[in-house]
Amino acid sequence: MKVTIDNLTKKFGDVVGVEDLTLHIDDGEFVAFLGPSGCGKTTTLLTLAGIYKPTEGQIRFGERVVNQVQPKDRNIGMVFQSYALYPHMTVFQNIAYPLKLKKVAKNIQHERVEQVANVMGIGNLLDRRPGQLSGGQQQRVALGRALVKEPDVLLFDEPLSNLDARLRLTMRGEIKHLQKDLGITSIYVTHDQVEAMTMADRIAVMNGGHLQAFDAPDELYSRPKTQFVAGFVGNPPMNFVSVEVSRSNGRFVAETDLLRLEVGGDRGEGAAGYNGAVVMGIRPEDIQISGAGDIAGEIFIVEPLGREDLIDVRVGPHSFLLLASTETQYQAGEGVKLKFDMEKVQFFDPQTEKSILWQQ
Amino acid sequence: MAQPTVGSSAQTSSRNALKSYLGAYGFMAPAGILVIIFFLIPVAIVLYLSVTNLASSNFTSNLAAMEFIGLKNYETLLNDQFARKIFFNTIFYVLFTLSIFNVSLALIVSLLTTHIDRGAGFVFRALWILPRITSPVVYILIWKRMMAEAPFGILNQFNDWMGMPTYNYISTNPWVFVVIVNGFIGLSFGMIIFTSAIESIPKDLLNASLVDGSSKLQRIRYVILPLIRWPLLFVFTYQTLSLLTSFVEIQLLTDGGPGLYRTEVWSLTAYHRALSNYFGNAQWGYGSAFAVLLVLIGVVLAVIYMRVFRFDELIAEPRVETL
Amino acid sequence: MTLRGALFDRAKIKPDEVSASVQQDLIEALRLGLISILILLLAAFLFSGVIGPLFALGSVEETVTDVLTRLALLALPFVAYIAAASVARRYTWSDTSKALGLALTSTIVLFLLISVGAYAFDYGVFAPRPSLQMTLSQTEAGIRVEAIVPGGAAETAEMQVGDVITAIRRDAVDLAAFNLRLSQSEEDAPLRLRFLRGDEEMQETVRVAIVSDKQIRALLPGLVIALVFTVVIVFLPGQWAPYIALIGLLTPLLIGYFWVIIATFSYRTEGLVPLDSKDNFGGFTLENWESIFVGNIAGLEFNIWPILMTSLSIAVIMTFAVLLVSSMAGYALSRMNFPGRRFFLSFTLILHGFPAITLLIPIFIVLLRLRGIPLIGQHIGFNTAGGIAMVMVAFQLPLGVWLMKGFFDNIPWDMERSALIDGASRWRTYWEILLPQIRPGLLALGIFAFIGGWNAYIIPATYSIGTGLSNLPVFLNELIDETAPVDWNQVAAVGLFQLIPIFIFFIFAQEYLLNIYAGGTKGSS
Repeated sequence: MKVTIDNLTKKFGDVVGVEDLTLHIDDGEFVAFLGPSGCGKTTTLLTLAGIYKPTEGQIRFGERVVNQVQPKDRNIGMVFQSYALYPHMTVFQNIAYPLKLKKVAKNIQHERVEQVANVMGIGNLLDRRPGQLSGGQQQRVALGRALVKEPDVLLFDEPLSNLDARLRLTMRGEIKHLQKDLGITSIYVTHDQVEAMTMADRIAVMNGGHLQAFDAPDELYSRPKTQFVAGFVGNPPMNFVSVEVSRSNGRFVAETDLLRLEVGGDRGEGAAGYNGAVVMGIRPEDIQISGAGDIAGEIFIVEPLGREDLIDVRVGPHSFLLLASTETQYQAGEGVKLKFDMEKVQFFDPQTEKSILWQQ
Repeated sequence: MAQPTVGSSAQTSSRNALKSYLGAYGFMAPAGILVIIFFLIPVAIVLYLSVTNLASSNFTSNLAAMEFIGLKNYETLLNDQFARKIFFNTIFYVLFTLSIFNVSLALIVSLLTTHIDRGAGFVFRALWILPRITSPVVYILIWKRMMAEAPFGILNQFNDWMGMPTYNYISTNPWVFVVIVNGFIGLSFGMIIFTSAIESIPKDLLNASLVDGSSKLQRIRYVILPLIRWPLLFVFTYQTLSLLTSFVEIQLLTDGGPGLYRTEVWSLTAYHRALSNYFGNAQWGYGSAFAVLLVLIGVVLAVIYMRVFRFDELIAEPRVETL
Repeated sequence: MTLRGALFDRAKIKPDEVSASVQQDLIEALRLGLISILILLLAAFLFSGVIGPLFALGSVEETVTDVLTRLALLALPFVAYIAAASVARRYTWSDTSKALGLALTSTIVLFLLISVGAYAFDYGVFAPRPSLQMTLSQTEAGIRVEAIVPGGAAETAEMQVGDVITAIRRDAVDLAAFNLRLSQSEEDAPLRLRFLRGDEEMQETVRVAIVSDKQIRALLPGLVIALVFTVVIVFLPGQWAPYIALIGLLTPLLIGYFWVIIATFSYRTEGLVPLDSKDNFGGFTLENWESIFVGNIAGLEFNIWPILMTSLSIAVIMTFAVLLVSSMAGYALSRMNFPGRRFFLSFTLILHGFPAITLLIPIFIVLLRLRGIPLIGQHIGFNTAGGIAMVMVAFQLPLGVWLMKGFFDNIPWDMERSALIDGASRWRTYWEILLPQIRPGLLALGIFAFIGGWNAYIIPATYSIGTGLSNLPVFLNELIDETAPVDWNQVAAVGLFQLIPIFIFFIFAQEYLLNIYAGGTKGSS
């Protein structure tokens, strides 16, 4: 089922939830809505579900305009952050509830619920109540309830955020696998960029009610179109520093009071066209500590991540996050030299926050 | 799959809205009808009665047949030499019962019962609820026996044993007993609300304050009291209005006496004038004038409380919309 | 590391006073004592000097402010001792002698201070009282006059030292009876005393004087009480205090209900003492209870079981009706959007201000009219069970709707959304999903409604004249109206009979009633 959102605007009184959102989701696609809290992603999801009424714009499921279709008639399944399991019903009754409402025959209900429960690995829990289940089991029940009526579209509202880290990892894989197997168009709201990157076919990054970008994960990562996307996607986040780029002797140089960096031709070209400062972004993995480096800084703090160390280096007032191998034991307070991989830097217009390199 | 229904979307929308409104009104209907029949229409009737001279001598339930006398009842009321006294009696009664018992002692009892063994707290609260669930006749009988003259009165028996003089308490201190008798009933409402509010404070918060080094008393002062501000206001509001309209216990205890209107309150007057044959003839029209003023005071107070305590902030918008 | 220096400075977070010397502790104790004295004096003044006169202006004849004034003054010394002893209690278990010393010293100082005040203002033990202005003592022969105040009442009446008083008029008295008689006399009241002077029997009339004799000796009992009280306070385990306070507050009720229980098991009572027909202690009987089940009280014949059933069915039906009607309205107000929602919500609040009980007459007229409606009028009008039920349900609505709305407000929205997406209608969402989740609220409101229905009197009594629809409260009042003379012990037994089931119900229900705050009254804070 294709899901088409055209010029969707949702306001609550004067407060804007989403503004002028246009998004075309393909059949069977897994799309993540990514953004900080309050960015409008959940509002969009609930509007898709029919809980909220669009102020303007149109939503289509397939070719059918669903603006005025009641939630129950949209044939969607939804998994909530709190799971929203009915506490007074057993697991069986929870999963069977959508079927009961569709007046499906009792024996078919049983069959379907057992099928779904077995797929979800909760076949042995059908007589329990939600209160007696662990977080992961509740999650599976919620997923089962969403799937049992064979929905055209699956909606997820931060379904993993109440789980512990290890379980989140497992569920992440399971949901993705299930979605691919069933081929149900899915929309997944999250503020966790790792979740979005690992699960989604395409990610819609939102901020302040506006769509920032809608692209495949690796596109978003390597060719961010706005500074917000660049900063939000990727962990640890991209470092930003305000620089002036100038052309000298056919080469491009980005400089601040403390830094002076040579930029490669194709990336420097656009930036140099700007009068005054631009924002330069560089990812932590593109900075190395190296004796050959030309920028001197002092280590402020070292955070061991196990596989590598996350190091915060201060260069004057600027702070750069970078990843270093654990083999060298760095200490806070130590002076180091940094080497930037200038082939990977991004440049953004400080006013519009749009990328100078990758125009839409 | 249904075909797109473009073109009729505005119609669908308003049809959907209408359907959902009708649904909501359906939910409201039973309560709404009861409120209209037993609150709104009666208030309208009482307003109308207050401008007639309906009495038991010329009673008719046919509204059109009642004799219209304009504002004469209100005039009589204003010129009633005892109306002023009854008015201040009412203020006195509400003020003292409310502040001493319904709020202060209720708060103290709920604080005490939540700071002792849980089971013991339940026992004490169960005892405090007795006045409310005892039949008023028997409850008042108890208090009448309490303050009766020697040798029957319990208090006077104590006085006697202690070698102190005995008193006729009902004539010396009627108000003291009116306030206490009603206060002991009213206390349980606040007690239940406050106890429930205190118990609903997250345990983490209470433990945190102890870890931060506060004593039990400091915890009451700095954590519990600020957190139960809302129930305090609620009880204060709700009980003012309840006290304003309560009269059964006073009627049974003193019936407004002893003497002329010594413990008469406004709602009791409305009752006396209208229902009891105080002067041999129930003056329904005149009694209604008292009732109308009481309704007026009640509604004005309710509106003031709503504004002052911002109860309307509780009116959050529903977060499921009509499509 | 300089950060640590800047943030943490242990020396700065020490309490103000560290190791108080004994003098400092004493000063603090006295200070606390004095403050409490001042506060209570202020309260007493407020009651007797401000609030009382204000209400007197409105011609309210009350003695409440006087009683409060007296209470404040009575409590004044004890509150002061407690305040002072609170300092000493710090050392009770570590340094007992220091604690005792501190507490007793401050108590004595405060006692003296209060006494000086009482002396100066002729208050308390120095208050003027009826006196014959002679000192008396009890001897074998009678009350012997030990001393006579010069120029006083006794001297004027020519009493002499050594006289032995035997009687006032013709009533033989001992010293206690004499003093009681004296204390009840008014100023200038003549007391004709019979006494023996030597062997001679004489009579003199002494006129009572109201004087303050200001005998310092009179302070002694007060001082002893104060010191004993202080010692008790110093050693009182802190966890006992709430129990003592609770029992103290409950005393009047405990005594009252103790009496009512005694009364139902005896022929008659004087005070708390059950008496038989010859005015001797005893006279216990089960008759008051028996007659309830036999069904005959002073000639009034009845069968208690149908009455009990009526009570129960009124309470049960009303409970369910209130729950259904209020929860439906509460659901709509909490969860649905419709024109007029704000108005209905505010109106629910304002409804609290409607003195429902004063609307009895107009409701009577409404019910008479409803009776006239064809078909359904037979079931909902005046004198019908339906009509009574509706009125009672209506009166419970303002509280009910408000509480229910609060409980619905507290259910996560996702629950509702999930049900709607699963395909439920609003009615099913309400009935199948939300209602089961506000069970605590339903129970709490149900308990309120049940108690209200069980005790319902005014409405059934007013609107069911002569239908034989009587529940226990109505029956109780019939009993009072239709038997003469009213046997109050019998009435009390019926009252207790009505109380016992609901009390037991409450004991089990209290736990659930305490959930009431989970909804309803919760503010935006």
